[in-house]
Amino acid sequence: MKLSKATRYLQVAPLAILLFAFVVVPLSLVVVVSFYTYLHLIGIVPDFTLVNYIDVLSNLVNWKLYLSTLKFTFFTLAITLALGFWIAYFLVFHVRNILVAIGLFLVCTVPFWTSNIIRMISWKPLLGKYGLINQGLMSAGVVDEPVEWLLFSDFAVIVSYVHLYTLFMIVPIFNSMARIDKSLIEAAVNGGATRWGVVWHVILPLCKSGIALGSVFVVTLVMGDFFVVTVMSGGLSGSVTFGIFNDLKFLNYPRASANAVVLVIIVLIFAAGIMRLVDVRKELTR
Amino acid sequence: MSEAAKIEISGVTKSFGSLDAVKDVDLVIPSGSYCCLLGPSGCGKTTILRMIAGHETPTSGSILIGGRDVAGEAPAKRGTALMFQSYALFPHLTVRDNVAFNLKMRGVRKSQRLEEAGRMLERVQLQALADRMPAQLSGGQQQRVALARALITSPKVLLLDEPLSALDEFLRLQMRSELRRIQQEFGITFIHVTHTQMEAIAVADKVVVMNLGEIEQADSAEEVYARPHSAYVARFMGGHNVVSGTVESVADGTATLAGPNGWIFKLNTDSEHVSRGQTIGVSVRRDEISLSSGRSNGENSVAGSIRSVEYQGTYYKVTLDLEGVEDEFVSHVPDHEYRGLGVSTGSAVTASWATPQTHLLRGDLESDGGRSSGPYREH
Repeated sequence: MKLSKATRYLQVAPLAILLFAFVVVPLSLVVVVSFYTYLHLIGIVPDFTLVNYIDVLSNLVNWKLYLSTLKFTFFTLAITLALGFWIAYFLVFHVRNILVAIGLFLVCTVPFWTSNIIRMISWKPLLGKYGLINQGLMSAGVVDEPVEWLLFSDFAVIVSYVHLYTLFMIVPIFNSMARIDKSLIEAAVNGGATRWGVVWHVILPLCKSGIALGSVFVVTLVMGDFFVVTVMSGGLSGSVTFGIFNDLKFLNYPRASANAVVLVIIVLIFAAGIMRLVDVRKELTR
Repeated sequence: MSEAAKIEISGVTKSFGSLDAVKDVDLVIPSGSYCCLLGPSGCGKTTILRMIAGHETPTSGSILIGGRDVAGEAPAKRGTALMFQSYALFPHLTVRDNVAFNLKMRGVRKSQRLEEAGRMLERVQLQALADRMPAQLSGGQQQRVALARALITSPKVLLLDEPLSALDEFLRLQMRSELRRIQQEFGITFIHVTHTQMEAIAVADKVVVMNLGEIEQADSAEEVYARPHSAYVARFMGGHNVVSGTVESVADGTATLAGPNGWIFKLNTDSEHVSRGQTIGVSVRRDEISLSSGRSNGENSVAGSIRSVEYQGTYYKVTLDLEGVEDEFVSHVPDHEYRGLGVSTGSAVTASWATPQTHLLRGDLESDGGRSSGPYREH
């Protein structure tokens, strides 16, 4: 079917308008403001200065925040990847009844039936100083004093991230795994592959696109997070967005913007790197 | 080697829940032979193949390969290789890596397995496509890759699950003879599952006709086609007309049968095989039946009207309606004879044959698998 030029523009218009209004415009504003000058007690003055970027990049605390964010991203990615892969593997290859598989899949989404805040608060009775785990450990005689690092620590932050974001890994991996022809597994077994051989040589390579998409989700979610790290670390750990938030509190929009631009660039580099490793577009049309 | 790839299946039953896919099957497949398991979908032929391969476990009974009971053995340890219906090529690997995959799983080092894969690809004439991905190949090429992948581990037995069903007619005929050639070249046992009669009798040394989980007849292709054991086999193989009659007398090696509408059939047999008063089925090959215009009586003849005529190139396929007989009755008439008959659709005709052409069917006359599996009856 041959479409006229106008029709084709009309077809892409809704998405184009949406992306323009909610991505291009705000991002452009941030970029523009990042070059403005901030004057104490006066406010923002239009300008073209690199002072904000120099501030951001020369600040040792800021470097530490970036390092902390990267650390969280790395651990969360590793754990959600391992969990997501095996949960999807179990659902696709071990649960024979499709209804049971769908049921278990829905169970994975149960945490999302409540708000983020409730989900995080609900960790406190478990991980807290006098929470269930500490009580259990103490009454079992494993420790004499409550373990302090369970809550308000990097550990608590990573636990929450894993809890919140594993589903974003499960869904795309499940999707690409479910499309693997079961006879490929049998063909590999017929050729002498062990259970691990099948996973390593057949399933894993055929799930690359799902793993890549899930990783992009998790990386962008963790790197852009402000809330979880603040609540679960009790302010003891920070993230890049924490720095941005501090600048915003003093109405230093230009420096916050510069920091945001740097963060966006880093996230984009990560996403581009993942996409380079796996040609998602090719895999999806396979 | 002579017995190394002999397959002995004894008393094998496979149940899925309350359904018996395979019922108490006994089958011996000689080493180095080409065997076809033939039957309509759901007859259990693929289940037997998968049990030999080790992808299904028999509910009861035993399977011996080369005299060794393979119960509980992993597929790769049995000396068998399975070629899948959909070929099951790994989409993320090149043709060469696909062929080398089974060697890789067996721990053969890289340089050696790639060399062997290259040699195997030469044997199936695919060396030029070794670096392509499976998705870039045609159906026939994909099948040759699957064949090369299965053969690279030098199996004693190659199991083929409907290997030709995904190909178009032209390629199917070509691959059919190719498979036979490869089987003879490698000298290994081939077990080939199909639902196409002509495919089975064209390639196989031994044809096993199955129905509802049981073996109806296991014989040479000629035996199965020319001397079907039961009404089911006669109907399923096609090329036969099945009629029934009650034995009136048996004398001097000839039985006289009373068929429907007062028809009389003669059958060369003796009292060992039939007895007076028994109702039996007989079959007559379609190409052994001659037609004459008009209705007439006589032994070994039936009368009816022409329902349809199909021109088949070297002969006309004439289908008759016989009064009171449910089965269609078909005669293959050479084209010069047909034109001399001067009949057309609706004409009254008499079909007759010589007594030696009446073939006794043993087994259950009412076993009706052939009729209910409509699409497979024709060929």
